[in-house]
Amino acid sequence: MLSYALRTLTRMALTFFAIVTIVFFATRLSGDAIDYVVGEGITSEDRALLIEYYDLDKPLFSQYLAFLHAFTDGQFGLSFIERRPVSEIVVERLWPSAQLLLPAMALTLLVSIPLGIAAAIWRKSWVGSAVMAVAFLGYAVPNFVLAIVMMLVFSYWLNWLPVVGNGTALHFIMPTVAMAGVLIAALTRFTRNAMLDVLGQDFMRTARAKGLPEARVIVKHGLRNAGITILSVIGLQVAGLAAAGSVVIESIFAWPGIGDLLVSSALRRDYPVLQFGVLTVALAVIVINAAVDLAYAWADPRLRHTVKA
Amino acid sequence: MLRLLLSTALAAGLATGLAAQEITVGAANVSSYLDPGRDHSNVGSQFYYNSFDTLIDRNHDTLEADWQPALATEWKLVDPKTMELKLREGVTFHNGEPMTADDVVFSLNRMYQATFPPYVVRSRDRLGNFVKAEKIDDLTVRISVEKEEPLWNTLLNLQQVMIIPEDYTKGLTGDPKVAEDDDFEAFSLAPVGTGPYRVAEFIPGERLVWERFDNFWGEKAPLARATVQQIPETASRVTALKTGEADIITNIAPDHLAMIEADQNLRTVGSATPLFHVMIMNANHPKLQDPRIRQAMSLAIDRDTLNEALWLGKAVVPSTHTYKEFGALYMPELTTFEYNPEKAKKLLTEAGYDGFEITFDTHPTYYTNGLLAAQAITEMWKEVGINGRVNIAEKWSGGSPDLMARNWSNPMYFADPFGSFGVMWAPNGPSEGEGRFNTDEEYAAIWERFRFSKDVEARKAAYAELMERIKQDPPVLPLYRPFESWAMRKDVSWAPKPGHIPYVLDFRAGSISFASN
Repeated sequence: MLSYALRTLTRMALTFFAIVTIVFFATRLSGDAIDYVVGEGITSEDRALLIEYYDLDKPLFSQYLAFLHAFTDGQFGLSFIERRPVSEIVVERLWPSAQLLLPAMALTLLVSIPLGIAAAIWRKSWVGSAVMAVAFLGYAVPNFVLAIVMMLVFSYWLNWLPVVGNGTALHFIMPTVAMAGVLIAALTRFTRNAMLDVLGQDFMRTARAKGLPEARVIVKHGLRNAGITILSVIGLQVAGLAAAGSVVIESIFAWPGIGDLLVSSALRRDYPVLQFGVLTVALAVIVINAAVDLAYAWADPRLRHTVKA
Repeated sequence: MLRLLLSTALAAGLATGLAAQEITVGAANVSSYLDPGRDHSNVGSQFYYNSFDTLIDRNHDTLEADWQPALATEWKLVDPKTMELKLREGVTFHNGEPMTADDVVFSLNRMYQATFPPYVVRSRDRLGNFVKAEKIDDLTVRISVEKEEPLWNTLLNLQQVMIIPEDYTKGLTGDPKVAEDDDFEAFSLAPVGTGPYRVAEFIPGERLVWERFDNFWGEKAPLARATVQQIPETASRVTALKTGEADIITNIAPDHLAMIEADQNLRTVGSATPLFHVMIMNANHPKLQDPRIRQAMSLAIDRDTLNEALWLGKAVVPSTHTYKEFGALYMPELTTFEYNPEKAKKLLTEAGYDGFEITFDTHPTYYTNGLLAAQAITEMWKEVGINGRVNIAEKWSGGSPDLMARNWSNPMYFADPFGSFGVMWAPNGPSEGEGRFNTDEEYAAIWERFRFSKDVEARKAAYAELMERIKQDPPVLPLYRPFESWAMRKDVSWAPKPGHIPYVLDFRAGSISFASN
């Protein structure tokens, strides 16, 4: 178990370093910060002055080294636009994002696991078909479409729900649902498939043959085994989808989270903020993946033993 | 959970019983910093007039320059190159400090003798003639210029020379006796001025809250509190207005107007913004050096059709680089730019145009209707035989030697030809500095007469000569003044005022009121 954990951690660190490097160079491919920070249409003399002031005159590689070095002071450099520590700007945005993400994840689990199980058990009846039809539809509708349609219906027409920011409990409803929509669709399908794999296994027949009640067979023997697959899907796919979703949903609902920050700093070419923001999201996904990996090993004794061997 | 529900109910109750003295503005953009000195962005200009004052103000209800005393009560030239100003007594900054001559001298010299790079840049393109400000006594300052200045009032009314407190600013970081770069950076996140609203809360790029400043020297502000909330998505802004979360929203594209006006509780106001969307052409591109080619590129464009198709006819197409805001210097009689496809074809033949491709660069979204206009322009070029291609790129190409043509904007930074054409197309100015426009001694001499003649007629005559030079060897074509709209609840009475620069959200006394009051 320990060496498995160590390996996981090493992989995490390497992944993080690769992301740091890719993020640094990819942001710089997306356009020239100088145009946005310095402004267009100024004399070349003035341009040179501002380029120097913002430290954009250094060669790319030494900017990269400075960027790596900035990790050591805990501030991660200054925003080009706001001129305050990047860490401060990003940290302000973490809690609102978490406030949106956690209810969305909870809603996803609460809805999609029962639905997925139902779709697996009653796969041949109309229940299974209906669930899968809705899940496919949900997967096909992009979250921004869902968000805008909800906004049109519940705010624009009915005037029931507010659309801007995170001021009250009512503000949480549409963004949470819009975030959870695609996650529910994805996880319902995975849960169904995982359950189907398990349902045909010998140990399920054995459990039934022992005379256990059907509900107990499904939950104790079925879900616990399917759970391992579901867990890894949550780690690998759902976390990624949620991170991408927050970028879109937060912009639409003017939600002051990290996704909104990423969009605005990308538009303003505020590289230091953009880099650190992307890294934070990446780190969150890596940590979730690693946590799932470890939980996976814990939940599946076979894996533990294979690694040891 | 109970607390959450209670606070929701409370918030909903407050929203319905909304006091008319508090409003929320849903803005497409909220600035990342607030410092009137370094800023000349369209986003920034929304916010300064409520919180800051200049020495000399103007009546914003009229297009004609009608100068009003503000932080200075009197001003006169004591010699041709020195102005003496008497300061208003009893003016207080939002932090409680009294305003003195020291603050004024500090504010002005941070621009006139700038060392902080963002100030240096802003100062050079418009305040280059200003040498220094000096204190004479606690309520008297003198300002000196290098050459006799015909635009004294205009250039003392600029956003860039709004007055900020000296001690407060210097004390923000480092040594409290010295103005360091970091002081100015810190100021831009915690701005303090003398205007009728103080900045009570500022979250960069997200929210700005103004509160009425009770010690304001002038007429009391009509609103107790105004919140500007950034709502980047147009659909969300419109919905927020509809749900009552916002009372006024900014930056409504023409295609959303009908939807808003269909609601009887809402209304829109709009104006052709004092800013030109322009096409620039690179006079130094090897294939475009013959001015006849660039003349043809310009003559082929039917700007009235662009206006009808893209702006529902609400934009304003100019005959020359001029704005009615210039007052006495408004010169619509000049015809510098026109649509004449026949002449375009003839010029192309004369210039021996062989069908080489001419690219028109545009950012995909930066200018409203920018991409559509670019596509229409290349189609119009095709009509006269120009082989045009739209090149969509995020990167600013205005300084690239490969540039052929692209879109850009020339805002009116202040109401004088010097404040729009003058800033961008001066000898050694930004356009020449980027290598796509050339001037010579003759142009510089005309420019000098335009900039510094004291007689308005002499300035107009010189400007007409500059326009003739632009017509003969064109680096630019102003397409139109885009139509910009705001929407609000029907009982809110607010509209952009004609005497302001673009986008100012003026909530001072006399500028906003409520029908129910």
